[in-house]
Amino acid sequence: MIGTLIVIVIILLIVLVWMFNSLIQKKNAIDNAFFSMDVMLKKRYDLIPQLVDTVKGYMQHERETLIQLTEMRQRLISGNLSPNERVEIDNKINDALQAVFINFENYPQLKASENFLHLQRSINETEEQLASSRRFYNAAVNEYHNAIEMFPTSLMALWMGLKHKTFFSIADEHKQTPVINFNN
Amino acid sequence: MAAAKNFGEFYQTELAQQLLPFENLRKKVARSGFIGFGLAFLAIVFFAIAQTSGSPVFFVFFFIFLLATIIFIVIYYNRKKDYVAGFKENVVHSIIKFIDPNLHYDPYGHISKNDYERSGLFLNHVDRFNGDDRVEGWRDKTVFCFSELHTEYKVSAGKSTTWHTIFKGLFFIGDFNKHFHGRTYVYSESNPQLGFFTKMFSSFAGNLEKVNLESVEFEKRFIVYSNDQVEARYILTPSFMDRLVKLQDLMGDEASYSFVDTNIYVAVPIQDALFEPSVFSPNNYDKLGDYYNTVHIIFDIIDELNLNLRIWTKE
Repeated sequence: MIGTLIVIVIILLIVLVWMFNSLIQKKNAIDNAFFSMDVMLKKRYDLIPQLVDTVKGYMQHERETLIQLTEMRQRLISGNLSPNERVEIDNKINDALQAVFINFENYPQLKASENFLHLQRSINETEEQLASSRRFYNAAVNEYHNAIEMFPTSLMALWMGLKHKTFFSIADEHKQTPVINFNN
Repeated sequence: MAAAKNFGEFYQTELAQQLLPFENLRKKVARSGFIGFGLAFLAIVFFAIAQTSGSPVFFVFFFIFLLATIIFIVIYYNRKKDYVAGFKENVVHSIIKFIDPNLHYDPYGHISKNDYERSGLFLNHVDRFNGDDRVEGWRDKTVFCFSELHTEYKVSAGKSTTWHTIFKGLFFIGDFNKHFHGRTYVYSESNPQLGFFTKMFSSFAGNLEKVNLESVEFEKRFIVYSNDQVEARYILTPSFMDRLVKLQDLMGDEASYSFVDTNIYVAVPIQDALFEPSVFSPNNYDKLGDYYNTVHIIFDIIDELNLNLRIWTKE
């Protein structure tokens, strides 16, 4: 009788430890995904000075946009921004980049610049990597939500005080990566 | 459609002429095959009569026919070998060159065992590795090669050894249009390597984790494993997932894909040999059209997956 009770307690303990670890793992996966998103964003911000340097000699009409791009980057890397402010500035950077890439068609000299074309490829790559890390972040949040809402892990999550996390959502107009096809 | 029409013209104007000597050779090979079978049948008949009657005359007949059978079988295989080699070096070579003069065709070459293993698509250890009909070249900006492969593993029990097929079909390697460092595998849901437990648990061999993606249709058909969750999504963008679904409709359920060392590897199981000419039936327009279509399956992989889109740092 006591032997059976001990076995039941041990099994129960194993299940509890497994549930606890699995929830922690899912919570950490979100942090990990957020970190990878941050790395991609930093990579994107690092490309902005190079872009501005490359195009400022050619794109006279977009001077204002280029100055704004530099300022927004400075604000982002200086820190001290709330998550909402970060998303807002990030979206504005996206708009500014799109404006630069759409208007580059008007500057034939720029179109011939190897440096600019390489930079454009790097930005395309970074944008797509950024989109991938956002998708990974959302997948991690989704898995975490499933775990904290489904029985029996929901009881453990309640005891651990685990809360819902916010999905990374971007407005439709910002879902489009500023991509230029060089094949034309 | 236009390409198919062009192939029809090519068949009429060039290929039909080129086929004539091989058609005569094919009939010769087939004849020696039929004679061999006939002699074998007679040998069996004489053996049966000799057994029941006990007459030594029938045993003599049996040995004569047995010897004749062996001679004709040897003749059949030698003729077939010459016929197949000549057919591939001339007819198949012409078809490949018609499709694209820059393609290189080697009837005796195949994808190396090293490349096959690097793809990581198959978990079984290979004991026998065979293949032929290697084609390589460029399609626009994408360098690629493919060949037929047949890989097997053996199971020995006492003195008997049985061979089991791991993969038989078309194996393709193409230069992927993005840089990546990790390993990502896309298996169809019906892949025999994925047992119930593999699907149930999120890990797979070699520290791979299951990647859950957003496309419902894609998730229904494929199962993805990778050692880098972000990179897997960098490769499998929403539009790329749609293209894989479309490609599956085109090639059947069994194809599997891996993304390793900035290459894409595709394994398409096919039961029939790739560019093997028939011996007992004529090699007509339909048969040769199949060869033409096989190469176009490869082009479909490159085109459907948009591998020529080079807008990232990999040019």
